Formats: sequence, structure tokens, C-alpha cells
Amino acid sequence: MENLIEVKNVSKTFKVNKRANGIPGMVANLLVPKFEQKQAVKDISFSIKEGEMVGFVGPNGAGKSTTIKMLSGILYPDSGEIKVNGYVPYKQRKDYVGSIGVVFGQKSQLQWDLPVIDSFELLKAIYRVPEKVYQRNLERFTDMLNMGGFINQPVRQLSLGQRMRADIAAALLHSPRIVFFDEPTIGVDVVGKEKIREFIRELNRKDKVTMLFTTHDMQDIEKTCNRLIIIDKGSKVYDGTLFGIREKYGTTRQLDVEFKDNCEIEPIKNVEIKQIDELDGRKKRFIFENKDVQINELMNELLAKYNVRDLNISEPEIESIIRKIYSGKDVVL
Amino acid sequence: MMLKPYFAFAKKSFLKRSAYRFNHLMSIFNTCLQIFIFWGIYKALYGDRTEVDGITMSMVTTNFILSMGLSAVFYVDDYFLPSKIWDGSIANELLRPVSFKGKMIAENLGNAAFNFVFQFVPALLICVWTIGMKPPASPQMFVLFLVSAILGYGVLWSISFAVQMTAFWLVNIWSLTTIKTVFINVLSGSMIPLWFMPEWMRGVLQFTPFSSIYFTPVQIYLGQLSLQEICFQYLVQILWIIVIYFVGNLLWIKGQKKLVVQGG
Repeated sequence: MENLIEVKNVSKTFKVNKRANGIPGMVANLLVPKFEQKQAVKDISFSIKEGEMVGFVGPNGAGKSTTIKMLSGILYPDSGEIKVNGYVPYKQRKDYVGSIGVVFGQKSQLQWDLPVIDSFELLKAIYRVPEKVYQRNLERFTDMLNMGGFINQPVRQLSLGQRMRADIAAALLHSPRIVFFDEPTIGVDVVGKEKIREFIRELNRKDKVTMLFTTHDMQDIEKTCNRLIIIDKGSKVYDGTLFGIREKYGTTRQLDVEFKDNCEIEPIKNVEIKQIDELDGRKKRFIFENKDVQINELMNELLAKYNVRDLNISEPEIESIIRKIYSGKDVVL
Repeated sequence: MMLKPYFAFAKKSFLKRSAYRFNHLMSIFNTCLQIFIFWGIYKALYGDRTEVDGITMSMVTTNFILSMGLSAVFYVDDYFLPSKIWDGSIANELLRPVSFKGKMIAENLGNAAFNFVFQFVPALLICVWTIGMKPPASPQMFVLFLVSAILGYGVLWSISFAVQMTAFWLVNIWSLTTIKTVFINVLSGSMIPLWFMPEWMRGVLQFTPFSSIYFTPVQIYLGQLSLQEICFQYLVQILWIIVIYFVGNLLWIKGQKKLVVQGG
């Protein structure tokens, strides 16, 4: 399949005014302003095929939103090449943006004072959506996102979850082939998030919409995407499957054991335990590398030597693996 | 239909204005109040005299009603771009497959249309009924007045457009906008009829775009200009629109590369 999105060695730097605190800082800044170059995106390359659903994660300030904005033609990259759907976004903005949809979770594109439906009508006119397509999409989205109850209310009276759903529908009314989501679940409650994820999944599966998706909620990624790109401090640090990240980074496991009585654990033969934590009561937590330890050996040993009441093995969650990648430390659950 | 989206923008801003009814009623009141205040001041200055330097009180009244009435119609949102840069919503604007400048014009015109129907007309009726104004010099002059009023709006719009584009660099342009507004209020004849300006000042003003916003249409309405002069004034207005728009457009092209979206 062809690459629908192609990003090659893209960098972007912002000039930031740096000023010291308080009034002296303000005066100094007025007289001699100091600027600092802040590199938001550093030599990033990746490509996305048609129909893919890719999670795009990274800590705050990693350059996710900047990348999305360059992909959607809002910002000019300083260097490098971007090609989406055959267009160079920032050069052919007006022709290009008709084929994409973008949701900025933090920036509503709805008209604050007007009912949701009026904003939709306006978008229909802007994107020249044929009446039939519009009606079909509207009906479908209203149903899937449960918007029937508030579609005639002014946007300023909506709750955040309602507004977000309306915003998502608004970005998709013109049936774009490519959708960029920039934190579409921010500030939405659990039920709302689930609705949004379901909607996004269905859109990808049924309509073959290609998606790039930034979020801070790993559940969003786990439940929707099969590929993950992680960036940190403007550079790409991981690009691969969700499963692959566990293999690569999530190598430690933990075993929680509750003993019947207090006991000291002696070193176990041939089993290299990295760390044993005392939990409350008579619980202990064994943390070890997957490759070093045969889990059945360890359990046999423990069950044979001690009075064990309960056992519980767990693998690190994606969330903690990501945390590890961000901080560059070993993963501790 | 290429213009369809722009009609939609204009319609939307028209509808938006009716969302706050109290505000709308107060702005009719505001327009009348401004006219009454300036009328009152000049009435007091005229005292018992019927004319000063050949300018009659009714000409002054007509000047105020027309120029302030027009300024109520001539809606330009000076913060159209700056507010969008300041709060980052420029990002959403650039996502639309439409011309940003086209949208700006359309929304302003939508507002202007609203102002014309619901603000200018009521205010005009109230003023004519209370303080009275001169009728146009002739039906022909009235038509020529309308043309020059539209061109005047073009000049006003392009000044605002050029000033707004500096927001790409400055983000907050409140001070620039305020200075611009003061210049327009004082030098375009809407607060001080330009007849009363000293001769040298009027000479200088000839070379600025301000007098062609309100004063030129008013002069035509009152029949003070010959056909030849009117044609010349039209040319001046058109020239200003082209020159100022050109500068603004240059800033617009450069500014987009400079754009920083605020707020992540």
C-alpha cells in the first residue's frame, strides 16, 4: 500500500522571549529583550500507510502538537519535507485541507454562541459537502456519539464531554480520508472516552480513515491503535507496534506473594531476583527480568519452602513503559 | 459556487449579532448618543449664528449624522486576526479550505449588513426626527455618495487589515489599534468636520487616507464637489485601497511563516 503520509527530516524551531522574574526582569526585558531558540521538532521522519491508525505520544512539550500542526498545513517547517495525500500541506493549504479533518481537543472549532447544528451547517457550506452526504454523516454521527440531546443547544452551554463529541463530529462531516486527533479525550469522563474510542475505531475499520492520534491517556492508544510513535524532546524514540514496545522495553515482571506468616526470604538457587520489596502485611513483591527467571521455577521454589497464601503475577502496563521511556529509567511498576 | 462558503460566513456573523438583544438595543442608543453629544457641542459653539465660515449648522449636523451613522455601519473587527493569534484559534481557521482574507471580508460585511439594517436605519430615523438633517443635494449626488461611501469602507477596511497583520509579530496590538482609531476619528472628519481644520492641516490631510473614509462621501452628499472632483476623489480612494491592501498582504504572506500557535 502507498504511503499516505510522508515526513522526512522535519525540524521546527521557535523563537522564545526569555525574561527574568518580577519587575526587574520586566524592565530588563523591555530595554534589552533576550530571545532563545527552542527546538520543538528535531529531524523527525516517519511514514503512515493508508488505513493505518497510529498513536503519537510523548510528554508535554515533546513536539506532538507542533508536528500535527505542520502536518495539517498550519505551521511551516524550518527544514525537511512533508507530503500528505499528494500535497505539501503548508504550500497548498487551501486545496489540501479539504481532504483532512483535525480535532484539537483544546481548541473548539464550534461557534461559541450558536447551536451545534448551526456550526455544522456552516461547515457543510465551507467544505461544500453535498446535502446527501451531509445528512447521512450527521445522522450517523448523532447516533454514534449520542448527540441528539444537545445538538440544538448553544455551544457555550455544553459540558466538556458534549463539546468534544460535537467537535469530533464537526471535524468529520466532510468525510476526510485522513484525520489528525490532538488529544481528543482530554478532560472527558470514562464513559465519554469509551464512546469516543468506539467511534474512532469504527471509523477506521469501516471507512478506512487513516488516523494519527495524540493523547496522554495510554488506554486511548491501547484500545484504538496498533502502531505507536513516541517522541521526546522533539526526536522520535520509538516507532513500531504496541506489542513490540512490551518486548523491547517491558522486560521486567513482578510477582506479589502473600505469605501466611512472617518470613525471611533466602536467596533462591539459579534464580536472579532484581529486587524484593516489602509490602504491607505479609506481602512481598519480587521484581525480576523476564529473560533471567523461569517463572515456574521461582513459584515452585516459593511454594515448596514457604507457606504461601496468594500469588499474583503482573506485566508492566504500557503506561509505565512509556513513563520509563520518557524518564530514561528502568521500569518499576 | 465558489462564493457559497463566504455567504455562509456573512450569514453567520449576521445571526451572531442577534444573539444578544440587549447589546444590540444599546448600540442603537450609543450611536444616537454620540451624534447628539457632538451635535450639542457644535450647537453651543454656534450659539445664535446660523453659519461660521460659510458652514451652516445644518451642514454640521448632516456631517455628524452621516459620518457617525456610517461609522456604525462600517464594521471592521480590528481584532479578527489578533484575537485568533492571541488565543491560538488561528489554527482552526487555517484548517478551512477557504481564504482567510475572504472570510475576514465576509464576516465584516455580515456585521455591516446587520448594522445597516438594525442600527443605522433606526438611528438615522431617530436623528432625522429629533435634530433633522439636510436632504441629499440631488438624487444623482445621492447615488454618487453611495459609491464613495462603499469605497470609503474599503479604505477603512484595508487600514485595519494592514494593522492587524502586525499581530503575527507583536501578538498584542491593542496600542497600535487604538492609535489607528484615534487617527481615524480625528482626521476623517467624523468628530471634527474637516471644514474647520486650518488650511495647512487640510493640505496635509489630502495626502493621508483618512479624509477619504467619511469626509469625501459627506461632501458629495452635500453637493460640494463637482463631477470632475468626484471622479478624482474616487481615484484617490481606489488608490489608497490598493496601496494599503498591498502592504497588508505582504505582511500576511510573511507573517504566516512566522506564525506561532499559542497555547499548545
